[in-house]
Amino acid sequence: MPLIGQLALALALLVAIYSIGANLIGLRRNSPELLLSARHALWAMCAMVTVAVAALWAGLLASDFSLEYVASYSSVTLPLPYKFAALWGGQQGSLLFWTWLLSIFTSIAIWQNRRRNPEITPWALIVLAAVAVFFLGMLNFVTRPFDLLATVPPDGSDLNPLLQNYWMAIHPPSLYTGYVSAAVPFAFACGALITRRLDDAWIRTTRRWAIFSWFFLTLGNLFGARWAYEVLGWGGYWAWDPVENAAFMPWLVMTAYLHSVMIQERKDMLKVWNLALVGMAFMLTLFGTFLTRSGVISSVHSFTQSGLGPYFLTFLIVVIVAYTALLLSRVKDLKGPAEFESYLSREAAFLFNNLMLVGIAFAVFWGTVFPVLSEAVRGVKITVGPPFFDAVNGPLALGLIFLMGVGPLIAWRRTSPEALMRTFMAPIVMGVGAGIAVFAMGLRQWYVLTALSLAAFALGSVIVEFRRGVSARRHLVHEAPARALVNLVAKNNRRYGGYIIHLGVVFAFVGIVASSFFRIEVKRSVREGQSFTIGAYELTYLGLKGIEDAHMEDLGARVEVTSGGRAVATLMPARLFYKRQQQPATRVAIRSTPLADLYVVLAGVDDQSGLATFEVFLTPLVFWLWAGGFMMAIGTVIVMWPNVRERAALAAALGRDAPVAAETPLEPQAAPGGD
Amino acid sequence: MNSPRKSFDTRALAAAAALVLAIAFVAPPREAAGARASGQEIAEALTCQCGCGLTVANCNHPNCSFSVPTRERIDAMLAQGKGRAEIVAYFRKQYGEKILSAPTTQGFNLLAWTMPFIALLAGGAMIVLVMGRWRTRGAGAGDSSDVPAPRSSGQSNSGQSNAAAQFDPALRERLERELKERI
Repeated sequence: MPLIGQLALALALLVAIYSIGANLIGLRRNSPELLLSARHALWAMCAMVTVAVAALWAGLLASDFSLEYVASYSSVTLPLPYKFAALWGGQQGSLLFWTWLLSIFTSIAIWQNRRRNPEITPWALIVLAAVAVFFLGMLNFVTRPFDLLATVPPDGSDLNPLLQNYWMAIHPPSLYTGYVSAAVPFAFACGALITRRLDDAWIRTTRRWAIFSWFFLTLGNLFGARWAYEVLGWGGYWAWDPVENAAFMPWLVMTAYLHSVMIQERKDMLKVWNLALVGMAFMLTLFGTFLTRSGVISSVHSFTQSGLGPYFLTFLIVVIVAYTALLLSRVKDLKGPAEFESYLSREAAFLFNNLMLVGIAFAVFWGTVFPVLSEAVRGVKITVGPPFFDAVNGPLALGLIFLMGVGPLIAWRRTSPEALMRTFMAPIVMGVGAGIAVFAMGLRQWYVLTALSLAAFALGSVIVEFRRGVSARRHLVHEAPARALVNLVAKNNRRYGGYIIHLGVVFAFVGIVASSFFRIEVKRSVREGQSFTIGAYELTYLGLKGIEDAHMEDLGARVEVTSGGRAVATLMPARLFYKRQQQPATRVAIRSTPLADLYVVLAGVDDQSGLATFEVFLTPLVFWLWAGGFMMAIGTVIVMWPNVRERAALAAALGRDAPVAAETPLEPQAAPGGD
Repeated sequence: MNSPRKSFDTRALAAAAALVLAIAFVAPPREAAGARASGQEIAEALTCQCGCGLTVANCNHPNCSFSVPTRERIDAMLAQGKGRAEIVAYFRKQYGEKILSAPTTQGFNLLAWTMPFIALLAGGAMIVLVMGRWRTRGAGAGDSSDVPAPRSSGQSNSGQSNAAAQFDPALRERLERELKERI
């Protein structure tokens, strides 16, 4: 098996290199056969990498400890789902997984473009193959997943206990999918730049990829936060760890891109900026991998450090320099019409929204690399942690939420002051009303007051948009409100799906603000039968219950939770001990309600005194962070749903016959939704 | 026709910018002035030295050799009546600057705090500048352009009604017909 895997990786590298050569020569000689052969070579690459992945999975599932990778990240007693997930638990495996995704996405892109974009696609495939060659080069020569051990150990060292959690099965794959799929829009952007086909064909071709990438980056970040929340046991979900930051930055930039691209689709402007954003998003995904792998900045994710850093850094620098040079060499071709009428327009709102998103991404980047900078300049090691990121990004987030409220309602091109007042009256009333209500509840922190007012304002703006659309349908096609709402979303999925995402962001934002400011914590050591309170809850410790198997010891404490004298839950926080790694861990118990999460950690048990120590957090509204995330996911699925009108627009952009009428002054432009 | 709108625009832009900046530059959140610091707050200001990369408050190792005794030490110092600044200074003296979970606001570290806002201001200034240039160019082109004015409102989804009155009836009828088809 290991031999098959290693061989498959070597062949994959060879066919990837061949594909680049065949594409280059095919382009030069104008040979369709060679271009076709180059495409087939990439399919072969995908097949080979799939064989390698299957071989490593086979090794993991069969506990073949002759493989160094299996011996390092698995054990005989590791539960089956984690043996499966161990594929991305260690460095070699995760790079292999990454390459596999890249090869799959490349194959899909080839299939999608088998009859379209004949000029751009070969170049896009060269770029994708070049990225694959880098990763396959790493897997063949630097960090090999199929290396064998001289002496085969009877058991492996097991997967890191922190990774033995069901989120492990979905968080890394989601994030990787988000990271890797960002390569497709990047590759087509490169193709468009090289061939000077700089209309919006490349954007329409890869729009779905960009949203797909954004969707998985969103999920990846959320799942990671949820994982931290459930596993790390400190009651929080985001620690501004460098690797978390690395996943957050491409999300921010991709969000900016998905907004600014609408200006290009509608007005043919901002071409350079969009190309820059797509490039940045991809580079940030590489930067994220570099951070995780290099160990240059200490991180909670340091389970996968190695000497890969220099290679990644070199590759990253090459990508940055090459792409920047390419972009600069095409600036003249990228001049679009400079049609801009008013600062009071959606274009302006989008530009400022881009400023905020990229501004936050920069702040996160700056904070992440500042320790390295400080060490280089002053020779002093410093830490840039949560207090910095909260203080800097907190205010920027307010600006963003404000603009999120403005964007959907303000008109394209220009709007008159009267129309502006009329349109924004309802959201402003909601915002001010929310502020007054929160003030009346006795909350005085200026940040909370502003944040909740702005959240209500943004919520109001989405509600106004929905109400407006529904009432238009009711008047024009005489539908009942519920039916009008469903049809409105179904027929304009891109636009209203986007608003549902906005709703999700508002809910998540409220959850973040409330949970950051009003979390309370109680730490108590109690004997069996004793109680203590937190907020409206009374917790009674009822005793311990231990379970042991070959893999781990699990010592749970039974805690009865009552509220107002009524039993509401029995929780079982536990201390775990992983035998192979000789490592302790905690399993938290959470009782979640829309109002607050009760989060109980068993911090310690003293056998002699019989005292059990509990750390309990009561976190208000954190439920809404996850609910908002879920809503963002639903909204994105709605946005991605196939849409006849959009397909027609794509066909039109690609210059084929399309079932859309010729553009006339009254014809809403190609992609009417999504704004 | 441009000048009143332009001056309103400029004022509105100034007001909006002032609002965003006011929001962005007020004191950092979370500092409850005058309140006595809790052990949790102080633990958040210190970085755990066990290698986890998290703050002392957040370290996830159940028997961490650094965060557990440090949290106890903080509680003990608070019990002795020591304040946040004094406790943080004590740990800084022992472990150096790297134990602080955020950069200080002096010297080179000031760059950490100011750079994001400088970048934001520079970016904002650039947007205003570029938009201003486009606007002048666009306005010049607009005078000679044959694009009918109502087009803008036809595309927009707000501010429609004030311009709708100017619609020629045939266009209006077509708009309604197409709207029915599309929405």
